Amino acid sequence: MSRMDDTDPDAPGLASVPSPEGDERDLSKLLRLVAVGDQRAFELVYQQLARPAYGVIRRVLRDPAQSEEVTQEVLLEVWRTATRFDPAAGSAATWVLTIAHRRAIDRVRSEAAAAGREQKTAWDGSDSGDEVADLVAAMLDRERVQGCVGQLTDVQRESITLAYYGGYTYRQVSALVGVTLAAIKSRIRDGLLRLRDCLEVS
Amino acid sequence: MPLSRRDLHALTGVYALDALEDGAEYRRFTRHLRRCTSCAEEVRGFREVATALAFAASAEPPQELRERVMAAVGRTRQLPPEVTAQRRFRIWLPDIHLGAWLPRLATATACIAAAVVLGIALLSTRQQLNSVRAQSQQIAAVLAAPDVKTVTGPVTTGGEATVLLSAVKRELVVSTNGLAALPAGKAYELWLIGPSSAGKAAIRRAGLLPPAVAGLTAPVLASGLVAGDKLGVTVEPAGGSNQPTTTPILLLSLPAKV
Repeated sequence: MSRMDDTDPDAPGLASVPSPEGDERDLSKLLRLVAVGDQRAFELVYQQLARPAYGVIRRVLRDPAQSEEVTQEVLLEVWRTATRFDPAAGSAATWVLTIAHRRAIDRVRSEAAAAGREQKTAWDGSDSGDEVADLVAAMLDRERVQGCVGQLTDVQRESITLAYYGGYTYRQVSALVGVTLAAIKSRIRDGLLRLRDCLEVS
Repeated sequence: MPLSRRDLHALTGVYALDALEDGAEYRRFTRHLRRCTSCAEEVRGFREVATALAFAASAEPPQELRERVMAAVGRTRQLPPEVTAQRRFRIWLPDIHLGAWLPRLATATACIAAAVVLGIALLSTRQQLNSVRAQSQQIAAVLAAPDVKTVTGPVTTGGEATVLLSAVKRELVVSTNGLAALPAGKAYELWLIGPSSAGKAAIRRAGLLPPAVAGLTAPVLASGLVAGDKLGVTVEPAGGSNQPTTTPILLLSLPAKV
């Protein structure tokens, strides 16, 4: 049985810690190794996820120095809490990038709360025009997502972009776009349903 | 203004994008999520979409970030896992149910701990319980051995076996998940296969796997491990055979220096 050869490498390496390199792309396995304190595995996780984490945090926060700081906090949180990662709840990349987006949002909202009225003027539109459009354009460069995002209606795309990359709450999106809360809710949900089917995520 | 159920359902999208601010609505929705499995499933899918959006936004962080993070990692203690038996039991069952999320490599310890719990949960008589307790203690001793090592290997007919072994104690614990169900009258039998001498491998019986529950088999303890042993698994008549009678569906090298 040829398969037996695969599992029978007589590898002296088995005597040491299981090597992560063989499963370098399998984040779920890497996180399990991270959970038992394997720093090498963590570096491989870093290699795969630091860019999207930093990228999405930076999209939300804009400020490079702040983005770097939050990215560092997020990655350290991944290290600290890898023991709690539950693969039943979603993929490893999603676990990490959900934390990343969430921490960026936390930063935006705590600053918004501190900034008070300044933030109100920002919602009045000064922040919503070309800059957001530029961000959308930059985001659309990525091929696979591009095709799918391109299939959304304009209003779906706008709502999802403002919410996810813009870091706005759906109330704020509703205020920016000038439609009802119910409409924003369904635009976002319908848009995500389409993206989900298009991207073929489960 | 109370939200209708339908309004709540419609919040899956904004929730998945972190666009639902903290407040009464957020709390109501998260409560609802616990009861509404279709909502939870939808949120899960939407988060995967958000992940694709994050990847689409990838940007190169400064090189110093990597050094700072790795330095911080080196001096940061990790949280302990949540380990109560009950909780683990609850977490692992859905894993198995979902097939695709089957734990593939080792949280071998977790896998075996779950299997211990399963084993205990399935047995009713005091005698069985006592024997499981005694075995569990031996298993616990292997898990706690300072030289414990983990090996995982795929079974050719599906699923995988996880082995925890201690060279010092010369013992190993075998647990499996996702193995194909066998017809009545058949069982999976474990073998320790030593290095061949005079063209003949020394094959010793190492126990039968108990029937799987939700895809997991309770751990089996085997003793008398020697250097160069491999673990084999074959399908045998229910009571086991003295020597393997079918082609092994797993042949796993165990760490050499026993």
